[in-house]
Amino acid sequence: MAKFQWLHQKTEHGPLSQLWDSFRQQHAAVVGLMLFGFFSLIALFGPLLTPYDPYLQNPDALLLPPSWDDLGDVRYLLGTDDLGRDQLSRLIKGASYTFGIALVTAIGALLFGLLLGVLAGMSKGFRASAFNHVLDLALTIPSLLLAIIIVAILGPGLVNTIWAIMLALLPQFVHGIRNTILQQLEQEYVIAYRLDGANNWQILRYVILPNTWEQLTVLFSMALSTAILDIAALGFLGLGAQAPAAEWGLMVADALDLIYLSPWSIALPGLLIFIAVLSVNLVSDGLRTAVRKRQEN
Amino acid sequence: MPKPLIKGSLATALLVTLLAACQPDMPAEVRSGLVYCSEGSPESFNPQLVTSGTTIDATSRQLFDRLLDINAQNGEFKPALATHWERREDGLSYTFFLRPNVQFHHTDYFTPTRPLTSEDVRFSFERVMHSQHPFHNVSGGEYPYFQTVDWANRVVRIATPTDDQVVFYLRQRDSSFLSNLATDFAVIHSAEYAEQLLQQNQRQRLDSQPIGTGPFKFREYRKDVFIRYYRHNNYWGEPSQLEQLVFDIEPNNAKRMARLLTHECDIIAYPRMAELELISKRADVKVQQQTSMNVGFWAFNTSRAPFDNSKVRRALSMAINRDAILQAVYFDQAEAATSLLPPTSWGHNPTLLPVQYDPGQARTLLAEAGYPYGFNMTIWAMPIQRLYNPNATRMAEMMQADLARIGVRASIVTLEWNAFRRQLRQGDHDTVLLGWNADNTDPDNFFRPLLSCNGVESGTNRALWCDPAFDALLAQALLTDDQAIRRSYYWAAQQYLTEHLPLLPLAHAKRFQAVNQRVEGVGINPYGGIDLSTAFIRSDEDTP
Amino acid sequence: MIWHYLIRRLFLLSFVFFALTCFAFSLGHLFPGDPLVNFSGISQPDDELMPVLVQQYRLDDGYLQQYIAFLQRILQGDWGLSLASQQPVLHELKLVFPATLELVAYALLISFVLGVPLGLLAAIKANHWSGRAISTIALLGYSLPIFWWALLMIMLFSIGLGWFPTSGRISVLYEIPAVTGFMLPDILLSGQTYWQAALQDAIRHLWLPAFVLATYPTTVMIRFTRDAMLNVWQQSYIKTARAKGLSRSQVLYRHGLRNAMLPVMRQLGLQFSTLVTLAMISELIFSWPGIGLWLLDSINQRNYPAIQGGLLVISSLVILVNILMDVLHTLFNPLARKQANG
Repeated sequence: MAKFQWLHQKTEHGPLSQLWDSFRQQHAAVVGLMLFGFFSLIALFGPLLTPYDPYLQNPDALLLPPSWDDLGDVRYLLGTDDLGRDQLSRLIKGASYTFGIALVTAIGALLFGLLLGVLAGMSKGFRASAFNHVLDLALTIPSLLLAIIIVAILGPGLVNTIWAIMLALLPQFVHGIRNTILQQLEQEYVIAYRLDGANNWQILRYVILPNTWEQLTVLFSMALSTAILDIAALGFLGLGAQAPAAEWGLMVADALDLIYLSPWSIALPGLLIFIAVLSVNLVSDGLRTAVRKRQEN
Repeated sequence: MPKPLIKGSLATALLVTLLAACQPDMPAEVRSGLVYCSEGSPESFNPQLVTSGTTIDATSRQLFDRLLDINAQNGEFKPALATHWERREDGLSYTFFLRPNVQFHHTDYFTPTRPLTSEDVRFSFERVMHSQHPFHNVSGGEYPYFQTVDWANRVVRIATPTDDQVVFYLRQRDSSFLSNLATDFAVIHSAEYAEQLLQQNQRQRLDSQPIGTGPFKFREYRKDVFIRYYRHNNYWGEPSQLEQLVFDIEPNNAKRMARLLTHECDIIAYPRMAELELISKRADVKVQQQTSMNVGFWAFNTSRAPFDNSKVRRALSMAINRDAILQAVYFDQAEAATSLLPPTSWGHNPTLLPVQYDPGQARTLLAEAGYPYGFNMTIWAMPIQRLYNPNATRMAEMMQADLARIGVRASIVTLEWNAFRRQLRQGDHDTVLLGWNADNTDPDNFFRPLLSCNGVESGTNRALWCDPAFDALLAQALLTDDQAIRRSYYWAAQQYLTEHLPLLPLAHAKRFQAVNQRVEGVGINPYGGIDLSTAFIRSDEDTP
Repeated sequence: MIWHYLIRRLFLLSFVFFALTCFAFSLGHLFPGDPLVNFSGISQPDDELMPVLVQQYRLDDGYLQQYIAFLQRILQGDWGLSLASQQPVLHELKLVFPATLELVAYALLISFVLGVPLGLLAAIKANHWSGRAISTIALLGYSLPIFWWALLMIMLFSIGLGWFPTSGRISVLYEIPAVTGFMLPDILLSGQTYWQAALQDAIRHLWLPAFVLATYPTTVMIRFTRDAMLNVWQQSYIKTARAKGLSRSQVLYRHGLRNAMLPVMRQLGLQFSTLVTLAMISELIFSWPGIGLWLLDSINQRNYPAIQGGLLVISSLVILVNILMDVLHTLFNPLARKQANG
């Protein structure tokens, strides 16, 4: 099959660099991307860089305030919790839980969603209809309720809640991809290709998928921010990460008892969750604007 | 259109906020009352069925009375529903003379037609003792405290010669008998109410919609939310100054504390030890404390390997850094325990030494016992704060780290409190962090429920330890009234426990209560559940 | 024509409900423990009762018969007992569900009242600092983890300033019998002499949870209204209207707003599921006795019949809201209506 060029030759750049240009012009989005990169690095390499073992309890250094406080100790930069564990180390380790696991979950949802979305988009008739309505059912079960049910069946724990969150994220992907595919299928060039004799698989591979990756990245970024919030929330509720894991949501829950003695124990992990989600949302917004601008041209 | 709309809606929002932020005083027509923030829902409204402190606190001294009580100051017995009592020479029968004209609660589900008689006393105890009694199997048929003290076998018969006399006939001498009658479990129900329920075929209501003679009567219960009691206006004693008493249920420590500070609660249970200093600096709340007869311990499930091996138990005990726990969990507000009995008990053995913290020795012992590479185990930890353990999950985390050092891999199990107790009952645990709060001043009250063979059946013996030699010591101690002789038996029992270590005693904690500055008349008992009948709220005019 | 559309929607609705009940039924077997206990909620069925129940629930027959028996029970109102309290699950749901509805309703109200005007403002002043400020605040609010936000609000307004209470729907000393389950109407219906003070107290208790819960939908409203408005502004019919000489406000209201609201409403339907999750977390932190707190307690207590009942109620609510939004969207959108009829 001859390679086709679906991009009218008004620009010399490929779509990817066009997108990047558009994106780069939004300062907020770039800041978001930098933060995102920072969190990813910490999630990957952080555990190797922690000054102390995040699980090491030091009975001589309980509840130390951050080092800039009078009673603080410069060896424990951000203070310690009530078991004497270094906060900085735990916060760094927490990145690999909250952020890292959220990434993994979102990628998993993306892959499964892509598969299911393609199936939904490409198939027709009763099968498609039935499938869509089953998916609609999944959409109507709030993610927390789904997590509760899965925890009830399988027991609490980080791995089980990953499945729950993936299931909860799936419908958005499937819907989005399916709609994009359906939209694509109505385009004239697709019809032209069909008339030319291309079968479903070829159309899918050469026409549709290349046009959907933008939509995919936008969906992925939205799903990632939801995933981070959900993992943190489930950790907070005690359904996800279990003690003594250093997941940020769990750290907030643990620190709840110490709210009067050391408010920073609650403020810091929550702040990190907030900034992580914010960075993803900045990137997401930037991508959406960039995609829209590119499509308008 | 947009601008005025925006301005209008923001202005409305501001107005509503301001209105909402005004704090009105409680209007006069609301029944005056006290709000006690408790740490959990009661399992039942009948103290006979439970041993949990949460249920006892919520029900026993509020809804019911006993035949006699213990004077908190000097530890002697004082009259309650019985004005006086006599014991036969041979110690095999006790006769109680009941107070005249004691009225039962009058509620919207029951109207009493007669005052308390001996029939009510007999009903209350026979229900527990006689397996054929129509009410025996209602609500589960388990009476853990009574099973532990072997009530059904100790008490041969209860006789009611007249309306105001009750006679208990015992199988043998029992120097703890009166102490047991003074516990929070030995409450008196209404036989007339029971009869009514029998007619209506609603027997379980006896335990869920209770009728007693106590200073408060049951009004409303919403599980996990609140319990509402009204004042019993015909109480035989001093009626309460409160028109209503509400238990606001909040298992989370920090939220309970927050409710005290915002004045949503007047008294809170189990204030966090960490914040006691902070509270004492505030003018609107005060802290009360009392040395209490309790013990926090780590129990091993001696019915399964490897915890049936006393070397293993000793090794595990030696691995625990108790001082670190006292500091981090108890905030130095507790004493290290060498025995189950606290030093304030007359049976305490002061010659015992605490288990040494020696991880090296622990490892050696473990290898000798056949586990050179350690093993996996679970530590069950309570989710809520108890008198004897302010933070079991934290403690478990510390122990987890301690055990890891000798090669033992421990995982922590925790559930909601009532579910926790339910599953614990089934004996699924390897080890559990638990404790005991004394119900009376008798040392038997510590040993029998926790370590006797009867305690295994009734579920109070979490170590599932049954040792006839130990039981024999306890039995001997009950046969005499001579405290010196009893003491020697209890000293021997404690020595025996130190050698076998079915459980590791950790700490005796002080009992704390945090109340609003305006609350008066609430003390803390060194043992037993709380008593709110004498509480009242000082109105602002009285403040000097 | 329009009726055909509605009937088709109803058919789909019943299909989704059917799938929901299938899923709920399967939970009885998927949850750990004895399915008999999971379906009935009787924690210790005695020996006489067991065979009766087994027969009633058709547990000895195939899954299809069991499912039919389950469906019959559900429709008759027998949702089993709560394992924790041994009270009927439906009875407990009737107490807790209205509390959640009340909270969600007030939060949505706040989000409309605040979100739509602010979104409009952000769209109109898109290049002005005020418009950008609103968009930034909306983005910040959208990124907040709600449990952290709720804790901060409590620390500031309840404990710090003492303006609002930290928990509950009303001070426990007030005795308001639950007639409808909604606090404010119940106060009015209670006939108590202190109803005005009670009303004020209930509003004080409502304010902070509603505001915290409203944060997310408000930011969603702002963002979508702004986006939709900006989108519409570009459309040719707006340009035509302006060319015709209509003032900015007239154009905004007559053409822009109505058309912008459509995608906003559609989004709301999709976001409702998220809102329910957030409501559940808020209920935990504010000890608001709604279905969210009830379900979280249930999972801690391993109370499986309660989880089953909660699933049915919550999912049904989300389905209904989605369908409602769908129908409204179609009714008000001439384009979609054409599609529906065709």
